[in-house]
Amino acid sequence: MPRYPLADLEAQVGTSNVTVRNLRVEGGKVEEFARAIHDDNPEFRATERDEPVVAPLTFTRTSYFPQYRTATADWEFGFELGFDRDRSVHGEQAYEFERPVREGDVLTGVTTLAEVYQREGGEGGTMTFAVFETEFRDADGDLVVVVRNTRIETGRPVGGEAEP
Amino acid sequence: MSTFPVAAETVAVGDSGPAVVVEALSREDFVRYAGASGDFARIHYDEPFAEAAGYPSVFGQGMLTAGFASTLVTDWFGIEHVRRFRTRFSAQVWPGDTVRVTGEVTDVTPTDDHVVVDVTFEATTGDDVVVLTGSATADLPH
Repeated sequence: MPRYPLADLEAQVGTSNVTVRNLRVEGGKVEEFARAIHDDNPEFRATERDEPVVAPLTFTRTSYFPQYRTATADWEFGFELGFDRDRSVHGEQAYEFERPVREGDVLTGVTTLAEVYQREGGEGGTMTFAVFETEFRDADGDLVVVVRNTRIETGRPVGGEAEP
Repeated sequence: MSTFPVAAETVAVGDSGPAVVVEALSREDFVRYAGASGDFARIHYDEPFAEAAGYPSVFGQGMLTAGFASTLVTDWFGIEHVRRFRTRFSAQVWPGDTVRVTGEVTDVTPTDDHVVVDVTFEATTGDDVVVLTGSATADLPH
Protein backbone atom coordinates (compact mmCIF):
# COMPACT_ATOMS: atom_id res chain seq x y z
CA MET A 1 0.00 0.00 0.00
CA PRO A 2 1.24 3.54 -0.66
CA ARG A 3 2.17 5.76 2.29
CA TYR A 4 -1.06 7.79 2.00
CA PRO A 5 -4.70 6.66 2.13
CA LEU A 6 -6.34 6.01 -1.24
CA ALA A 7 -8.71 8.95 -0.64
CA ASP A 8 -5.71 11.32 -0.53
CA LEU A 9 -4.56 9.94 -3.87
CA GLU A 10 -8.04 10.17 -5.39
CA ALA A 11 -8.29 13.82 -4.29
CA GLN A 12 -5.41 14.60 -6.68
CA VAL A 13 -7.05 13.00 -9.74
CA GLY A 14 -7.67 15.64 -12.39
CA THR A 15 -4.94 17.98 -11.17
CA SER A 16 -1.97 18.80 -13.39
CA ASN A 17 1.69 19.79 -13.18
CA VAL A 18 4.05 21.21 -15.79
CA THR A 19 6.64 18.43 -15.96
CA VAL A 20 8.61 18.94 -19.20
CA ARG A 21 10.02 22.12 -20.69
CA ASN A 22 12.34 22.83 -23.62
CA LEU A 23 12.40 19.28 -24.93
CA ARG A 24 14.30 20.38 -28.03
CA VAL A 25 14.23 17.54 -30.57
CA GLU A 26 17.70 17.22 -32.10
CA GLY A 27 18.47 15.09 -35.15
CA GLY A 28 21.49 13.41 -33.60
CA LYS A 29 19.48 12.47 -30.50
CA VAL A 30 16.71 11.00 -32.67
CA GLU A 31 19.28 8.90 -34.54
CA GLU A 32 20.87 7.71 -31.28
CA PHE A 33 17.44 6.71 -29.94
CA ALA A 34 16.51 4.90 -33.18
CA ARG A 35 19.79 2.99 -33.11
CA ALA A 36 19.18 1.99 -29.48
CA ILE A 37 15.85 0.37 -30.43
CA HIS A 38 17.51 -1.32 -33.46
CA ASP A 39 15.32 0.61 -35.92
CA ASP A 40 17.17 1.13 -39.20
CA ASN A 41 14.48 3.18 -40.97
CA PRO A 42 16.30 6.01 -42.82
CA GLU A 43 13.50 8.40 -41.74
CA PHE A 44 15.14 8.43 -38.30
CA ARG A 45 18.75 8.89 -39.50
CA ALA A 46 19.83 12.53 -39.35
CA THR A 47 23.16 11.63 -40.95
CA GLU A 48 21.39 10.23 -44.02
CA ARG A 49 18.89 13.03 -44.68
CA ASP A 50 18.87 16.69 -45.61
CA GLU A 51 15.37 17.43 -44.32
CA PRO A 52 14.37 17.22 -40.62
CA VAL A 53 13.97 13.67 -39.34
CA VAL A 54 10.89 12.34 -37.56
CA ALA A 55 11.26 10.63 -34.19
CA PRO A 56 10.25 7.04 -33.31
CA LEU A 57 6.86 6.64 -31.58
CA THR A 58 8.34 6.26 -28.10
CA PHE A 59 10.88 9.10 -28.38
CA THR A 60 9.24 11.29 -25.71
CA ARG A 61 10.77 8.88 -23.18
CA THR A 62 13.83 11.14 -23.51
CA SER A 63 11.92 13.83 -21.60
CA TYR A 64 13.04 11.98 -18.44
CA PHE A 65 16.52 13.49 -18.81
CA PRO A 66 17.00 16.07 -16.02
CA GLN A 67 17.63 18.97 -18.41
CA TYR A 68 14.01 18.80 -19.63
CA ARG A 69 12.30 18.28 -16.28
CA THR A 70 10.79 21.09 -14.26
CA ALA A 71 11.76 21.48 -10.61
CA THR A 72 8.49 19.91 -9.47
CA ALA A 73 8.73 16.87 -11.75
CA ASP A 74 10.17 14.29 -9.39
CA TRP A 75 9.61 10.53 -9.65
CA GLU A 76 5.88 11.08 -9.00
CA PHE A 77 5.57 13.88 -11.58
CA GLY A 78 4.98 16.38 -8.77
CA PHE A 79 2.05 14.49 -7.22
CA GLU A 80 2.12 13.11 -3.69
CA LEU A 81 1.17 9.48 -4.06
CA GLY A 82 3.68 7.90 -1.68
CA PHE A 83 4.43 4.92 -3.92
CA ASP A 84 7.34 2.76 -2.78
CA ARG A 85 9.71 2.89 -5.71
CA ASP A 86 11.24 -0.52 -4.94
CA ARG A 87 7.79 -2.12 -5.29
CA SER A 88 6.67 -0.22 -8.41
CA VAL A 89 6.61 -1.36 -12.02
CA HIS A 90 5.71 0.15 -15.35
CA GLY A 91 2.47 -1.54 -16.41
CA GLU A 92 1.44 0.16 -19.63
CA GLN A 93 2.45 2.93 -21.98
CA ALA A 94 0.07 4.43 -24.56
CA TYR A 95 0.27 7.24 -27.11
CA GLU A 96 -2.27 9.25 -29.09
CA PHE A 97 -0.67 11.23 -31.88
CA GLU A 98 -1.84 14.41 -33.59
CA ARG A 99 1.32 14.21 -35.67
CA PRO A 100 4.79 12.65 -35.38
CA VAL A 101 7.41 14.36 -33.22
CA ARG A 102 9.95 16.02 -35.53
CA GLU A 103 13.48 17.39 -35.38
CA GLY A 104 13.24 21.08 -34.48
CA ASP A 105 10.22 20.68 -32.22
CA VAL A 106 10.49 22.33 -28.80
CA LEU A 107 8.00 20.49 -26.62
CA THR A 108 6.39 21.29 -23.30
CA GLY A 109 4.70 18.60 -21.19
CA VAL A 110 1.81 18.97 -18.75
CA THR A 111 1.04 15.85 -16.71
CA THR A 112 -2.41 15.14 -15.27
CA LEU A 113 -3.08 12.42 -12.73
CA ALA A 114 -5.79 10.72 -14.78
CA GLU A 115 -6.72 7.73 -12.62
CA VAL A 116 -5.92 6.01 -9.33
CA TYR A 117 -7.35 2.65 -8.25
CA GLN A 118 -6.53 -0.51 -6.34
CA ARG A 119 -6.92 -4.20 -7.05
CA GLU A 120 -6.18 -7.28 -5.04
CA GLY A 121 -3.33 -9.08 -6.76
CA GLY A 122 -2.32 -12.68 -6.28
CA GLU A 123 1.13 -13.14 -4.78
CA GLY A 124 1.72 -9.42 -5.19
CA GLY A 125 -0.83 -8.40 -2.52
CA THR A 126 -2.76 -5.16 -2.99
CA MET A 127 -1.80 -3.40 -6.21
CA THR A 128 -2.24 0.36 -6.56
CA PHE A 129 -2.46 1.81 -10.09
CA ALA A 130 -1.71 5.40 -11.06
CA VAL A 131 -2.23 6.65 -14.62
CA PHE A 132 -0.18 9.73 -15.57
CA GLU A 133 -1.33 11.48 -18.74
CA THR A 134 1.15 13.92 -20.30
CA GLU A 135 0.16 16.30 -23.10
CA PHE A 136 3.13 17.36 -25.20
CA ARG A 137 2.64 20.66 -27.08
CA ASP A 138 4.91 22.39 -29.58
CA ALA A 139 6.19 25.98 -29.45
CA ASP A 140 2.92 27.21 -31.03
CA GLY A 141 0.93 25.53 -28.27
CA ASP A 142 -0.44 22.89 -30.63
CA LEU A 143 -0.96 19.39 -29.25
CA VAL A 144 1.49 16.83 -30.69
CA VAL A 145 1.01 13.69 -28.60
CA VAL A 146 -0.69 12.53 -25.40
CA VAL A 147 1.27 9.90 -23.47
CA ARG A 148 -0.35 7.71 -20.80
CA ASN A 149 1.96 5.95 -18.35
CA THR A 150 0.45 3.38 -15.96
CA ARG A 151 2.51 2.74 -12.84
CA ILE A 152 1.69 -0.13 -10.50
CA GLU A 153 2.80 -0.38 -6.89
CA THR A 154 2.87 -4.08 -6.04
CA GLY A 155 3.00 -5.79 -2.68
CA ARG A 156 6.59 -6.99 -3.00
CA PRO A 157 9.99 -5.65 -4.09
CA VAL A 158 10.41 -5.63 -7.86
CA GLY A 159 13.38 -3.36 -8.43
CA GLY A 160 11.66 -0.10 -9.23
CA GLU A 161 10.85 2.04 -12.23
CA ALA A 162 13.20 4.73 -13.43
CA GLU A 163 12.80 8.20 -12.04
CA PRO A 164 11.77 11.00 -14.37
CA MET B 1 3.49 -10.63 -50.86
CA SER B 2 2.76 -7.25 -49.32
CA THR B 3 5.06 -4.30 -49.59
CA PHE B 4 5.43 -1.93 -46.67
CA PRO B 5 4.23 0.60 -45.74
CA VAL B 6 0.93 -0.84 -46.97
CA ALA B 7 -1.54 1.02 -49.20
CA ALA B 8 -5.04 1.66 -47.81
CA GLU B 9 -6.81 -0.31 -50.55
CA THR B 10 -4.82 -3.50 -49.87
CA VAL B 11 -5.41 -3.79 -46.09
CA ALA B 12 -7.67 -6.60 -44.85
CA VAL B 13 -8.57 -8.10 -41.49
CA GLY B 14 -6.18 -10.93 -40.65
CA ASP B 15 -3.20 -9.43 -42.49
CA SER B 16 0.09 -9.75 -40.68
CA GLY B 17 2.71 -7.01 -40.61
CA PRO B 18 6.45 -6.96 -41.24
CA ALA B 19 7.68 -9.05 -38.27
CA VAL B 20 10.50 -7.49 -36.27
CA VAL B 21 13.19 -9.80 -34.92
CA VAL B 22 15.98 -8.57 -32.65
CA GLU B 23 18.44 -11.36 -31.98
CA ALA B 24 20.40 -12.19 -28.84
CA LEU B 25 19.94 -9.06 -26.77
CA SER B 26 22.89 -8.21 -24.58
CA ARG B 27 23.57 -6.10 -21.53
CA GLU B 28 25.12 -3.63 -23.94
CA ASP B 29 21.69 -3.21 -25.61
CA PHE B 30 20.16 -2.35 -22.22
CA VAL B 31 22.94 0.15 -21.49
CA ARG B 32 22.57 1.75 -24.93
CA TYR B 33 18.84 2.17 -24.37
CA ALA B 34 19.47 3.63 -20.91
CA GLY B 35 21.84 6.20 -22.40
CA ALA B 36 19.59 7.05 -25.34
CA SER B 37 16.33 7.24 -23.38
CA GLY B 38 17.32 8.50 -19.94
CA ASP B 39 15.95 5.39 -18.19
CA PHE B 40 18.72 4.76 -15.69
CA ALA B 41 16.89 2.35 -13.36
CA ARG B 42 19.73 0.22 -11.92
CA ILE B 43 17.80 -3.02 -12.32
CA HIS B 44 18.63 -2.90 -16.06
CA TYR B 45 22.44 -2.73 -15.85
CA ASP B 46 23.62 -3.33 -12.25
CA GLU B 47 24.00 -7.11 -11.83
CA PRO B 48 24.59 -7.19 -8.02
CA PHE B 49 21.60 -4.85 -7.56
CA ALA B 50 19.36 -7.10 -9.70
CA GLU B 51 20.50 -10.23 -7.87
CA ALA B 52 19.90 -8.58 -4.48
CA ALA B 53 16.35 -7.80 -5.66
CA GLY B 54 15.85 -11.51 -6.33
CA TYR B 55 16.35 -11.69 -10.09
CA PRO B 56 18.71 -14.09 -11.89
CA SER B 57 20.30 -11.15 -13.75
CA VAL B 58 19.57 -7.68 -15.07
CA PHE B 59 16.72 -7.44 -17.59
CA GLY B 60 15.74 -5.09 -20.39
CA GLN B 61 13.65 -1.95 -20.08
CA GLY B 62 9.99 -2.48 -21.00
CA MET B 63 10.27 0.62 -23.15
CA LEU B 64 13.10 -1.02 -25.13
CA THR B 65 10.70 -3.81 -26.14
CA ALA B 66 8.04 -1.15 -26.81
CA GLY B 67 10.58 0.40 -29.18
CA PHE B 68 10.83 -2.89 -31.13
CA ALA B 69 7.01 -2.91 -31.35
CA SER B 70 7.04 0.69 -32.59
CA THR B 71 9.26 -0.42 -35.48
CA LEU B 72 6.65 -3.00 -36.49
CA VAL B 73 3.89 -0.37 -36.55
CA THR B 74 5.81 2.41 -38.30
CA ASP B 75 7.29 0.03 -40.92
CA TRP B 76 3.79 -1.34 -41.51
CA PHE B 77 1.84 1.91 -41.95
CA GLY B 78 4.30 4.80 -42.12
CA ILE B 79 4.86 6.92 -39.03
CA GLU B 80 2.79 9.89 -40.24
CA HIS B 81 -0.33 7.67 -40.32
CA VAL B 82 -0.05 6.25 -36.79
CA ARG B 83 -2.73 7.71 -34.51
CA ARG B 84 -2.54 5.44 -31.47
CA PHE B 85 0.07 3.06 -30.04
CA ARG B 86 -0.40 1.16 -26.79
CA THR B 87 1.80 -1.40 -25.06
CA ARG B 88 1.36 -3.50 -21.94
CA PHE B 89 4.31 -5.20 -20.27
CA SER B 90 3.86 -8.79 -19.11
CA ALA B 91 7.29 -10.38 -18.62
CA GLN B 92 10.99 -9.57 -18.57
CA VAL B 93 13.46 -9.76 -21.43
CA TRP B 94 16.72 -11.37 -20.30
CA PRO B 95 20.24 -11.12 -21.71
CA GLY B 96 20.56 -13.58 -24.59
CA ASP B 97 16.85 -13.46 -25.47
CA THR B 98 15.76 -13.01 -29.07
CA VAL B 99 12.64 -10.83 -29.28
CA ARG B 100 10.13 -11.34 -32.08
CA VAL B 101 7.25 -8.89 -32.62
CA THR B 102 4.31 -9.91 -34.82
CA GLY B 103 1.01 -8.20 -35.53
CA GLU B 104 -2.38 -8.76 -37.09
CA VAL B 105 -5.07 -6.48 -38.51
CA THR B 106 -8.21 -6.76 -36.37
CA ASP B 107 -10.47 -4.14 -37.94
CA VAL B 108 -10.67 -2.07 -41.12
CA THR B 109 -13.10 0.87 -41.23
CA PRO B 110 -13.34 2.83 -44.49
CA THR B 111 -14.49 6.45 -44.30
CA ASP B 112 -14.99 8.91 -47.17
CA ASP B 113 -11.35 9.43 -47.93
CA HIS B 114 -9.54 7.38 -45.29
CA VAL B 115 -9.27 3.84 -44.00
CA VAL B 116 -8.89 3.40 -40.24
CA VAL B 117 -6.93 0.23 -39.44
CA ASP B 118 -6.74 -1.38 -35.99
CA VAL B 119 -4.06 -3.93 -35.20
CA THR B 120 -2.91 -5.98 -32.24
CA PHE B 121 0.64 -7.15 -31.73
CA GLU B 122 2.73 -9.15 -29.32
CA ALA B 123 6.39 -9.55 -28.54
CA THR B 124 7.71 -12.98 -27.56
CA THR B 125 11.11 -14.26 -26.56
CA GLY B 126 12.68 -17.39 -27.99
CA ASP B 127 10.97 -19.66 -25.49
CA ASP B 128 7.53 -18.36 -26.54
CA VAL B 129 7.08 -16.20 -23.46
CA VAL B 130 4.86 -13.20 -24.25
CA VAL B 131 6.75 -10.19 -22.91
CA LEU B 132 4.55 -7.44 -24.35
CA THR B 133 1.12 -7.09 -25.91
CA GLY B 134 -0.34 -4.04 -27.55
CA SER B 135 -2.55 -2.41 -30.11
CA ALA B 136 -2.33 0.44 -32.58
CA THR B 137 -4.51 2.44 -34.92
CA ALA B 138 -3.44 3.89 -38.26
CA ASP B 139 -5.38 6.31 -40.45
CA LEU B 140 -4.49 5.72 -44.09
CA PRO B 141 -5.45 8.16 -46.86
CA HIS B 142 -7.33 6.56 -49.74
